[in-house]
Amino acid sequence: MRIRRALASDHAIGWTFAGPAVLLVIVFGLVPIAWSFLLSFQRSNLIAPPRFTGLDNYRYLLKDPTFREAARHTLLYTGLFVPISVVGSLFVAIALNRKIWFVRFYRLAVFVPVVASTIATSFMFLWLFDSTYGLANFVLGKVGLGPFGFFDSTHDALYSIVAMTVWGWIGFDVIIYLAALQGVPRELIEAAEIDGAGRWSVFRNIIVPWLGPATLLLIVWSSINALQLFDEVYFVTHGGPLHSTYVLVFYLFTLAFTQGVAGYATAIAYVLFVAILILTIIQFWIGKKVVHYSS
Amino acid sequence: MNKRSLAVTLLTFAMVAGACTGGGGDNQEQPSGVVNIVLWQGYGAVSQPGEVPSLEGDSMHALVDKFNTTHPDIHVDLINYSNDNALTKLTVALQAGEPPDVTYQYGSSMPQLAQAPGIVDLTDRVADPAFNWDDFYPGERDAATIDGKVLGVPALVDNLAVVYNKDLFAAAGLAEPTADWTWDEFRADARALTDPATKQFGWSLPADASEDTVWHFEAMLWEAGGDILNADNTQAAFNSPAGVTALTALRDMAVTDKSIYLDFQNSGKSDDLFNSGKIGMLVVAPYQLAGYPDANYGVQFMPTFPGGTHQTIAGPDNWVIFDNGTDRREAAWTFVSWLTAPEQVLQDSLADGHLPTRQSVSQMPQFSEFATKYPGIDVFAANVANVQKARPVLASYPQVSQALGQAIVAVMLGDKEPQQALDEAAQQANDILGLPA
Repeated sequence: MRIRRALASDHAIGWTFAGPAVLLVIVFGLVPIAWSFLLSFQRSNLIAPPRFTGLDNYRYLLKDPTFREAARHTLLYTGLFVPISVVGSLFVAIALNRKIWFVRFYRLAVFVPVVASTIATSFMFLWLFDSTYGLANFVLGKVGLGPFGFFDSTHDALYSIVAMTVWGWIGFDVIIYLAALQGVPRELIEAAEIDGAGRWSVFRNIIVPWLGPATLLLIVWSSINALQLFDEVYFVTHGGPLHSTYVLVFYLFTLAFTQGVAGYATAIAYVLFVAILILTIIQFWIGKKVVHYSS
Repeated sequence: MNKRSLAVTLLTFAMVAGACTGGGGDNQEQPSGVVNIVLWQGYGAVSQPGEVPSLEGDSMHALVDKFNTTHPDIHVDLINYSNDNALTKLTVALQAGEPPDVTYQYGSSMPQLAQAPGIVDLTDRVADPAFNWDDFYPGERDAATIDGKVLGVPALVDNLAVVYNKDLFAAAGLAEPTADWTWDEFRADARALTDPATKQFGWSLPADASEDTVWHFEAMLWEAGGDILNADNTQAAFNSPAGVTALTALRDMAVTDKSIYLDFQNSGKSDDLFNSGKIGMLVVAPYQLAGYPDANYGVQFMPTFPGGTHQTIAGPDNWVIFDNGTDRREAAWTFVSWLTAPEQVLQDSLADGHLPTRQSVSQMPQFSEFATKYPGIDVFAANVANVQKARPVLASYPQVSQALGQAIVAVMLGDKEPQQALDEAAQQANDILGLPA
């Protein structure tokens, strides 16, 4: 009797449904997290047997100038990418939330870069942003700007990566905002307009607060991804010229797989992991105070 | 945004994922008594109709097919991957305990691989007179030998030489370079070939500060009479007067003359530009010639510095065997020794233009076809004699290379003076070399 009751209980059914997903999270999430924690206290090139070195990796990290440089670039990139893509996508979404001709085409066009392979878009940008032969400098030259160094200049390279990734990812944010905008009640806007609110006032006092939850989601999501920037740097700039686009994940990848110091690379990964965790907690904490969830 | 999912747990995730996918091919159904071995190589898949033919891929597949036909008791399962990721992929497979039986690896990876569990020591096997180990060029043998142990069999040998666009030389009124040319002449030619108005450059160099940047410089360093490290590999030696001479030559062209197109991303742009006649000269390895079907090019040895010698650098790569049990290990050796025997080396050279890894092959009568079939590659073949030194066989070499690469690019950007940049890089290299292994 007891067994049958246990089987029939919500617990058993719940675990049956959740089981496969939980197993995947444990195997691909928790096990690697624990394993890499161990690795971060070792000197290892992943080939020879590792050696425990205690806190050496973390101690070295404190005085590693390249780590500091990579961290600075990562923060600068995140500080630019997140606001530009979130604010930019809000305006694009509002523009695409009207009844205009070919609106579906425009929406699709904005989203295409998100689904396009990063390798393909990287090669496109390699030539587009070539400082000598690129189309970008040619067109900008016609209107009296530049020439810019883009990826070939230590000053411009990181900003070029920002431009490239904003272009590549803005479509995702736009879709989220478009969905949220569809939910703004028409009657609320009409009521405000009857009360004499102008377009700016409607935007400021109705639309923006209504989009609060979506904005919080996008900020958290974009920050997590921006702090882990890798693909574009790996395919386009290789961290250069002269480390000017060295970001943390690219640095730790190079350390682990080119230079054979995987233990130290994992220590950096752990520091980044904790930093992202703390940032996300702070963002949710602020979000709780600022964002209103209404239905 | 899963595209960017190289998450914080990237390393270990890759390992676990590797456990699920690594090795591969070992469960294939074959008649009993047949030993299956897995071969990883990076020459690419066999060409499909309508594609630009991949000579290397086609040749490799033809050889494996020939082996499988002539050796009914062994089946070689060929898996393609990029050579640039060979070490990364092998690292993951080793973590999973499922290395391939045979893998193509860069010579520069050998010191790290020497510590790998399961790598097969081939010292006694190559000593068999029938194998004729001394037939391989000395530079190749050195790159396959770590601490006196032979851990690989030479798979490919290349070297750097100058490829130049004959049409651009003629248009600029320049005589084509001869074998005894100097870096001063090279510089003058590069300057004459440079025209900002038409966006034409004399030369291009990889400037991503990778080993590709570094080995171009190292050839020049040796030509000027310098060395990368001291004799016992404990101290950097590249910040010598010879190093300054070599790096100053680069600085003069990149900063003063602006005759070098610096390829900062090193993703094939300079090859494309040379092919379309925008760059006059490149210093390349022989396999790159296949990328210039539209250019009317010639090939010449590297120039010399005053009082220096013609030297070049070679990047010999190896077949490495991992132990997956006696049967597979013996089958792997049977395959590798067959693949690197003179007959197969000759077949591969004629099929795809690879320089022969064995000295005897270039003496074979059938080899005369090579020069007519692959114009220019005969210069690379002769250039093998100019390979006099090898890069340090050292597990920490990639880190030394990293420091040197940054110095070279900093100078070519005009950010630093040659002596200063080399001294700083030497300091970093000495710190790395001083660390316990």
